[in-house]
Amino acid sequence: MSESIAQFVMRRRPDWDALAELLDRQRAGTLVLADLERLDRLYRSAAADLAHAQAHFAQSDAHRFLNQLCTRAYGAIYQPPKDRLGAIRRFYRREFPQVFRAQLRYVGASAFLFGLGLLIGALVVLLDPNGAELLVPDHLREYIAQKKMWTDDIFQVTPGELASSQIATNNLTVTIAAFALGLTWGAGTVFVMLNNGVHIGSVAALCIREGMGGALGEWISAHGFVELSIIVIAGGAGLMLAHALVDPGELPRGQALRRKGTDAVKLVVGCAPFLFGTGFVEGFVSPNFPAVVKVVLGLSLGIAFWSYLLFTGRSPSPAPALRARGARVARP
Amino acid sequence: MHRPVYDVLTQTVATPERVALELPVAGVGSRTGAYLIDFAALGLFWVAVFFVVSMIDAEIYFEARALSGLLQGLIILGVFATQWVYWTACEVLWGGQTLGKRVVGIRVVREDGAPVGFFDSAVRNLLRLIDFLPAFYALGVVTMLVTKQHRRLGDIAAGTLLIREVRVDLDRYVTAQPASAAGAAVPNGPIPLSAQDTELVLSFLERSATLAPDARQRLAASLVHRIGAALPEAERAAIAASWESSERFLRERLRPGA
Repeated sequence: MSESIAQFVMRRRPDWDALAELLDRQRAGTLVLADLERLDRLYRSAAADLAHAQAHFAQSDAHRFLNQLCTRAYGAIYQPPKDRLGAIRRFYRREFPQVFRAQLRYVGASAFLFGLGLLIGALVVLLDPNGAELLVPDHLREYIAQKKMWTDDIFQVTPGELASSQIATNNLTVTIAAFALGLTWGAGTVFVMLNNGVHIGSVAALCIREGMGGALGEWISAHGFVELSIIVIAGGAGLMLAHALVDPGELPRGQALRRKGTDAVKLVVGCAPFLFGTGFVEGFVSPNFPAVVKVVLGLSLGIAFWSYLLFTGRSPSPAPALRARGARVARP
Repeated sequence: MHRPVYDVLTQTVATPERVALELPVAGVGSRTGAYLIDFAALGLFWVAVFFVVSMIDAEIYFEARALSGLLQGLIILGVFATQWVYWTACEVLWGGQTLGKRVVGIRVVREDGAPVGFFDSAVRNLLRLIDFLPAFYALGVVTMLVTKQHRRLGDIAAGTLLIREVRVDLDRYVTAQPASAAGAAVPNGPIPLSAQDTELVLSFLERSATLAPDARQRLAASLVHRIGAALPEAERAAIAASWESSERFLRERLRPGA
């Protein structure tokens, strides 16, 4: 070996430039089938050049260049198949309900915590005359004392939009927080679920005690059930993260977290469109339509949502397994 | 002996071609820079939304209460878009880069070097909320400082990390040589320079124009003595005596096959 670094660069550079050009086109999506074979050959020769540079020209710019070029090519060649629309369809037809059913015990635990909160909130308000002052926020108590629904005013205070969007962004934040706070070894998720339960339970109990149960029931009938279901599911996803941290089994904590995290995030991502649906119902239907419509709509949405989760995708899978591990070649 | 490609922290990936790729890990500084750029872009978006909403609001608010519900839905969508969709969509569609990451020159990859997938990106961006706690990404920054590859909690849970993109100009190997000699190998010349010496001479020649003459002369002389160790003492001293002859000597030695 008596080739200098400059000779090496000059001799091999045409191939590297050709590879870089192919990678640019791969990114732009203009590769044709005939290019794939060239891409493969050029990548292999660049990998061999990288090994050569590692041995003879370590830490030179040529070495860095090849390292970077091979990283790009490696990323382009070994990427998972890109089948976005199909993947979304498969996800909602099979995967999301399947993951949901497989992780039902976490959702159950989260529902239990939320129910416990409801119970505590309701009991405190109903049994102790001063309980409401402790648990129900001041501005809500003022409304209830005047026998008014605060939700009426949310839509009447100008500039209404930014203020009223808070109820629904609140749901979004609660959903994400219930999941993400699982990283606090579960403490945050448990708190979010209990706290939301206590809050809703105490407000509901106070409304009932003051003879406004009907108004509250009407308000939440259309969107409430699905919305709370989603928060409970997100809490379940948070508990999955917590479980991986508290009891990783035989895996290192990081790895256990990654494994559970992938399934947990599927629950949260899967719920996202439904959360928007309820947000729309809450913003559009709940303030504008008569009670009957809302009750019927709420019931049918709830039944539809839960039957989707419990019964979709139960038939045996039509063999998608082949593509998962096999040759991952970039598509033209 | 294995020497790393970069003098910064790297993540090593073994490919099926049996070559080790070394990914230079991005640090807290560049990540903060990228975040601030993204933050500014999203801030601009919200300023625009605020103006549009406040203009619409006064006009039609009292007539169409139903519309306010619709608008409310749109705003929720906007919050979700800026909190999560922007980051995830950019990272998945742009090969691991958001606007800020692209400007700064960093990208998200999986720890095996592969491009980041949808669910990987979804995890790391949903957990942004936790890394932000208690304020201004305090938790995330602390985690980056204590973890080996500068990863925040979202990265750990998603199995991702951020790598730097390094710009390398290969032309320097060619342009530094005497014009007439480029490409022409000289048979039976002295042993070629080692890779380290080549890099050393190249960086010196590239910087020589900006050096003060006496410093330049001193550095050139010591390089001549290092590179030309095979020559007799007197010959080296003669070459090192002036900048012009030193430069000519160094450039000659860069010639392929010299």
